[in-house]
Amino acid sequence: MTGMLQKMKNAVRSRSIHVTYVDTGSCNGCDIEVLACLSPRYDLEQYGIYVHNNPREADVLLVLGCCTPQWEDKLKGLWEKIPEPKVAIAIGNCPLSGCVFNREGSYVNPPASKHIPIAASVPGCPPRPTEIIRAILSLAPTVFKDYEEKRE
Amino acid sequence: MGLSIIWYLKEFCRGTWIKTFLFAKTAPLVDPPYFRGYPTLTGKECTHCLSCMMICPTPGAIEVLCEGETWAPKIFEGHCIRCGLCIEACPEDVLDAGRVLETQARDGTSLSVRYQVAVNPDTCVRCGNCVVACPVNKEADPQLSATGTSANDEVIMRIHRGNLWVFHDEKCTGCKTCEGVCPTGSIRIARVAEGRQGAEE
Ligand code: SF4
Ligand code: SF4
Ligand code: SF4
Ligand code: SF4
Repeated sequence: MTGMLQKMKNAVRSRSIHVTYVDTGSCNGCDIEVLACLSPRYDLEQYGIYVHNNPREADVLLVLGCCTPQWEDKLKGLWEKIPEPKVAIAIGNCPLSGCVFNREGSYVNPPASKHIPIAASVPGCPPRPTEIIRAILSLAPTVFKDYEEKRE
Repeated sequence: MGLSIIWYLKEFCRGTWIKTFLFAKTAPLVDPPYFRGYPTLTGKECTHCLSCMMICPTPGAIEVLCEGETWAPKIFEGHCIRCGLCIEACPEDVLDAGRVLETQARDGTSLSVRYQVAVNPDTCVRCGNCVVACPVNKEADPQLSATGTSANDEVIMRIHRGNLWVFHDEKCTGCKTCEGVCPTGSIRIARVAEGRQGAEE
């Protein structure tokens, strides 16, 4: 039996998703698509998604870029700073395969799932804002649902 | 000051305002029709010509795989950048995404691909390996000699008067067998892809 409090938490969490993003060495294409989500055309906040620049305020981490060596430990640190419940989504081809940067002799270390647990990915070079929003909206509520009960 | 509070209260009590505030619906999240997503199969038959794989600029994005009796291209998400070139290059319209095929039919555009065979005469030792290995040469002249000389003019390249001559690089299929067998790395195949409009093939 899901308690009343848990139900309320589920309802609130599905309508107030706090997102932060980190670029671990992309070409900035995906960054611009993430920023386009904030624009009036897609208006991320109408779906209850809020973007923060501080991982301590966030629930969802959007990982962009192909994980350069300088980012390996910092990405882990950043992931640890996010309070539970948390989830990471890989945005674009870079955190999956390294995309154009994954060439012989280049200093990249994809995929991002090597460094932190990635729950979902939005492939594309870059993905559309609609795809990014759809991924966040479909993933975050299911992951955060009944979080306290699942933990016990 | 007092007046403005009354103005606000009056405004907030309006039926339309309350309705909008409580029941406003978020617009559904839809991709626009011109969005070019991942290429998907249209159901037409693939002839395994591999034009799609050869035009693809991204390593590991597309492979033409055998599925029982038939061939079908497979797109690997996470690698494919959705450029749509494979759709344009396919002569059989096996793939489609967004409005690529529609636009291509309307504008009458096509991609024509040819190969240039370039030999570096300074490093080539005229061994004839490339001439003998080339599958197109073998078809054109079954009596090709092991040294790469040939009496046939239809071969792509041959050893002639102690030199390697390229005669018909328009026949090259881009298989790069010759590059693989050359002991000195002297022969290079370059793919030249041209966008065309209005040209009927
Ligand atoms: S859309 Fe472009 S990147 Fe993707 S498979 Fe086709 S040619 Fe390759
Ligand atoms: S999908 Fe088209 S271009 Fe690719 S192998 Fe099949 S017929 Fe050739
Ligand atoms: S690429 Fe293939 S067809 Fe072209 S010249 Fe070399 S061996 Fe012959
Ligand atoms: S295989 Fe290489 S070295 Fe031999 S004839 Fe051809 S290009 Fe010259």
